[in-house]
Amino acid sequence: MTEPRNPGMSSMPQTAPVHTDSTSPAVEMDPVEYTLRKRLPRKLPKRRNDVYVNMKTEFRAQLARCQKLLDGGGHREICVHGLGLAINRAINIALQLQASSQGALQLAANTSTVELVDDLEPEDPDEAGEPMTRTRNNSAIHIKVFYPDPQ
Amino acid sequence: MTEPRGQTKSSDATSSTGMELQSVSLDPDVPSSSLSPKVGQSNFRRVSRTEDSSPYPIPGLAADILHMRVKEGSKIRNLLRFATARMQGEGRDSNGTSMRQVVFTGSGRGVTKTVTCVEILKRKVGELHQVSKLYYKTVNEVWESPQQGAAGITMQRTVPAICILLSKDPLDPQEPGYQAPPTLSVPTEDAERRRGLIRPAHSPSSQHTAKRVCLDDLND
Repeated sequence: MTEPRNPGMSSMPQTAPVHTDSTSPAVEMDPVEYTLRKRLPRKLPKRRNDVYVNMKTEFRAQLARCQKLLDGGGHREICVHGLGLAINRAINIALQLQASSQGALQLAANTSTVELVDDLEPEDPDEAGEPMTRTRNNSAIHIKVFYPDPQ
Repeated sequence: MTEPRGQTKSSDATSSTGMELQSVSLDPDVPSSSLSPKVGQSNFRRVSRTEDSSPYPIPGLAADILHMRVKEGSKIRNLLRFATARMQGEGRDSNGTSMRQVVFTGSGRGVTKTVTCVEILKRKVGELHQVSKLYYKTVNEVWESPQQGAAGITMQRTVPAICILLSKDPLDPQEPGYQAPPTLSVPTEDAERRRGLIRPAHSPSSQHTAKRVCLDDLND
């Protein structure tokens, strides 16, 4: 069952094992010869009311930022995005916002798949290794947190 | 981790668990279910772990709907092999009826896996309408000290959870969290996929094949 993994994989939080696996079984490579370098996910256009949640920033800081957008920023809706492991945190932020609004806020969650690109760089430039790229997929969530229109 | 965890309440080991659950703690971050309560001793033993059986947060669901409970340790290939077989049951002799709807739920660390399952299934089956709902799930845990007569501990933790309904029939587009099926979803390599799926479950290579099929799906 265990296929040879490249060394860089271990640093990645293994949120979705299938997704982080090698996506193309045809690529034969020596695990020693390549360094796996992950590119940053493609940035989506960012509006003032978009919040991209990550796992590096403190949870409370990100929650406070969202709260500020809704309270002081004058936005009637914000969009909280989370990718991979940060899905959990995005959901948590959205639910916390809703809880602290005493039910005034509503949530609308959408899911999607984001294509990520990894670079494979040969360790030893003298060897015949070619730099390669490889794409894999990861799951993402987009939560609209909004005050429903009075009817 | 400076984030507060679920609140603990000390109680008599004999008192019923239901009495001690007024405190609703909202964990800002996902508590790990394997952590022992922060009471200083690590030799507490978890006696029971019960989840409140809340109804589906999505309105208007049938009671006998196919329900996939995604847990932290669930294997995506197992979940999908089962779900795909039930959803694609049409045109197959062995498994009579096919389901029109399936609901996936997952909480805590299983949320990401839930979303991933749904995303793969959407691509596999195609033309699925989706409604996603977020909610907090309450988990009650009873911890017991190995010493006789020592107080037991009842913990209530709330974990974020997701519930996703996939349907072949159209759903209400006004429902918050509705997603229409993508316009150009062309299921490719359908025949090959089915071949992989209806392999006998006990053949030694079946697991491997299923995994490869999953990986192939991710590529299209």
